Amino acid sequence: MENLKIRPEGKVWQDGVSKSITFIVTKDCQLACKYCYLVGKNSKERMSFETAKSAVDYILSHESQFTEASVVWDFIGGEPFLEVDLIDRICDYIKIEMYRRNHHWFGSYRFSLTTNGINYDTPKVQDFIKKNKNHLSVGLTIDGTKVKHDLNRIYKKSGKGSYEDVVRNIPLWMSQFPFEGTKVTISSEDIPYIAESVLHIYSLGIHQVNINCVFEDVWKEGDDKLFERQLVSLADSIIDNDLYKDYSCSFFSEHIGKPQNPIDENQNWCGAGQMLAIDANGIFYPCTRFAQYSLREKKAWTIGNIHDGIDQNRLRPFLTLDRCTQSKPECISCEVSRGCAWCQGENYDAAETPTAYQRATAICKMHKARVRANNYYWNKLYRKLELEGLREEFEKNKPKSKDLIC
Amino acid sequence: MLQYLIILLDDTSTSFCHYECTKVNRKLISLENLREGIFFAMEENMMIQFVYPDYNLPQEYEDVIESIDHSKIKPASCCDNADVVILNSLDETSDFQFQEGIPYVLRIDKENLFSYRQEVRDIIEKVARLNVVITDIDSFTDDDFTTYKEFLSESVGQLIDLYTKGMTPQFNLLTDRMMLHEMNNCNAGHETLTLAPDGNFYVCPAFYYASPCDGKEISLADVCKKGFSVGSLEKGLDVKNKHLYKIDYAPICRICDAFQCKRCAWLNRKTTLEVNTPSRQQCVVAHIERNASRMLLEGFRKKGFYLPEQEIKEIDYLDPFEIKRKR
Repeated sequence: MENLKIRPEGKVWQDGVSKSITFIVTKDCQLACKYCYLVGKNSKERMSFETAKSAVDYILSHESQFTEASVVWDFIGGEPFLEVDLIDRICDYIKIEMYRRNHHWFGSYRFSLTTNGINYDTPKVQDFIKKNKNHLSVGLTIDGTKVKHDLNRIYKKSGKGSYEDVVRNIPLWMSQFPFEGTKVTISSEDIPYIAESVLHIYSLGIHQVNINCVFEDVWKEGDDKLFERQLVSLADSIIDNDLYKDYSCSFFSEHIGKPQNPIDENQNWCGAGQMLAIDANGIFYPCTRFAQYSLREKKAWTIGNIHDGIDQNRLRPFLTLDRCTQSKPECISCEVSRGCAWCQGENYDAAETPTAYQRATAICKMHKARVRANNYYWNKLYRKLELEGLREEFEKNKPKSKDLIC
Repeated sequence: MLQYLIILLDDTSTSFCHYECTKVNRKLISLENLREGIFFAMEENMMIQFVYPDYNLPQEYEDVIESIDHSKIKPASCCDNADVVILNSLDETSDFQFQEGIPYVLRIDKENLFSYRQEVRDIIEKVARLNVVITDIDSFTDDDFTTYKEFLSESVGQLIDLYTKGMTPQFNLLTDRMMLHEMNNCNAGHETLTLAPDGNFYVCPAFYYASPCDGKEISLADVCKKGFSVGSLEKGLDVKNKHLYKIDYAPICRICDAFQCKRCAWLNRKTTLEVNTPSRQQCVVAHIERNASRMLLEGFRKKGFYLPEQEIKEIDYLDPFEIKRKR
């Protein structure tokens, strides 16, 4: 009997324990995606090299504040590849400085970007990729079928869908980053297209779909039922066509939907504060979601700047956050809470007072719908494996759970 | 559960804590609001603390105040019949006639505290209780921590001498922790609320005097677009996220045993932007006090006459944040 191989879910570099440092290099983007949380995008605020250099100098000269064994230098927008020349220059400077300073990160670093894929095949982007290939991760976002993708991911100026301009670059991207997945975001209007979109992404040769519902309060009456039906349909397709052997979708995870112990399972979901984000003005944030262009209701939550450094007092709330302290009693006692995610920035933006300690629960009914469909998925899959005599082998080879949200 | 209502009788009512009274023009609370505030406290079973300005109130105000059980917090410059007297600087103490049985609060910044240690300690011998409030704790540096430790260490010796002589003064920075078996913090927002002259409720007076929008890019006020009011006499109380003022919802404080710490919600918000998270400065200062209280307890033990059931353990940290991070 041929070994039953199961595709592992997305492995996070260094098991996710590296320091993540994000440069917000531009707030501009060719697209105006309808679900984008970046309410303050604009074409004016681009980072200068001098600002980036000062940030790198601060970070590398304060090694005692950054003790993680590894680092991910992340570049975000807007669309980061609009500033590929700047990013290239910053990466060169980072490499030189880490080497010159004999910094402990020199042997353990990566550069990371997520692009909308539109200018992926341009010579400048390709040169950058070739130059940094051994230390580079590039994610590319495609939302699914043309209908689903173009529903949200439209050009800023023309309002035209961007699907065709993205999908043509998928083969090149997959040839360069064959193990990368794509990130799909679900809002209310996307629900009817979920199943066909995930299957479409698989058909493009992308084996891993990291998908999640937006955390904002966008959900309408009945969305959870529709969502559940889509996921059940997707589960049927994945299992009936044996796609589970070679493809993964983050909606289905065996470990979600269980009650959580308030003592042993009390850790925070989100990494805000563990990471560091820097904007064009050299202001530091606990995560990009706390920068002003990400916030609808609240003022930016800064933790310092390139001149004065990090205000360690302002990091303390983030570094001591735990699940139960920020959750309502019904969330703490919820029977299916495991895997129910939150975004610290959205928590802050939606909170009744300026606090990161009030968990937003707009996603609640969608999580419960996901759990029901997820239970269906695993019950159906295990029954199929049982009948085929493959269950034991599957249990031995199954991948570890990894919910990829932020 | 709410237990105390602080009523600021005037915009220029004396500060009795870390905050500064930022208003310079006199503005009395209206008689109507004063009456309604008292009525509110009666219905909520809250004890009232009236905070006075540095001038005598009209008699009609005093008549209303005397209609209910209360305590009076008054500035030293105008302190007849006060239950607690506030000294806003050491200058106010030079010719001051301290009265027996009244607690005094000395508000002082670190520079004056460290420069005039003996003058501060002299007050302890004159009063039943001295509360020292350091008004700029949030600016303490590592050098300041060292100096503060020295000051408290010197005060330990003084207190042991006084108690040996049969005097029993209380000094909040040293004797409070020795008497406590659990947290005894300010508890603003949870047990205590403030009614300001504008007829609105606030978590504490500091939130009334804070500007909701001072225009600076990186500031406390920036995080809060709206003001700091938590309700009004007209519309009632509306303390959002009230649970965050309770110790169970303060991840650092709930594992801490510096029981005497004020756990000041205002300083927390000012320094960390969260009411439930103390700054490193607040934690270290509280632990220096805690450890000095331990020294005092040991000193008393050597004399063989004090609190045999009390224990303050030796610890190897000054900031419980470090312990929380290790867990």
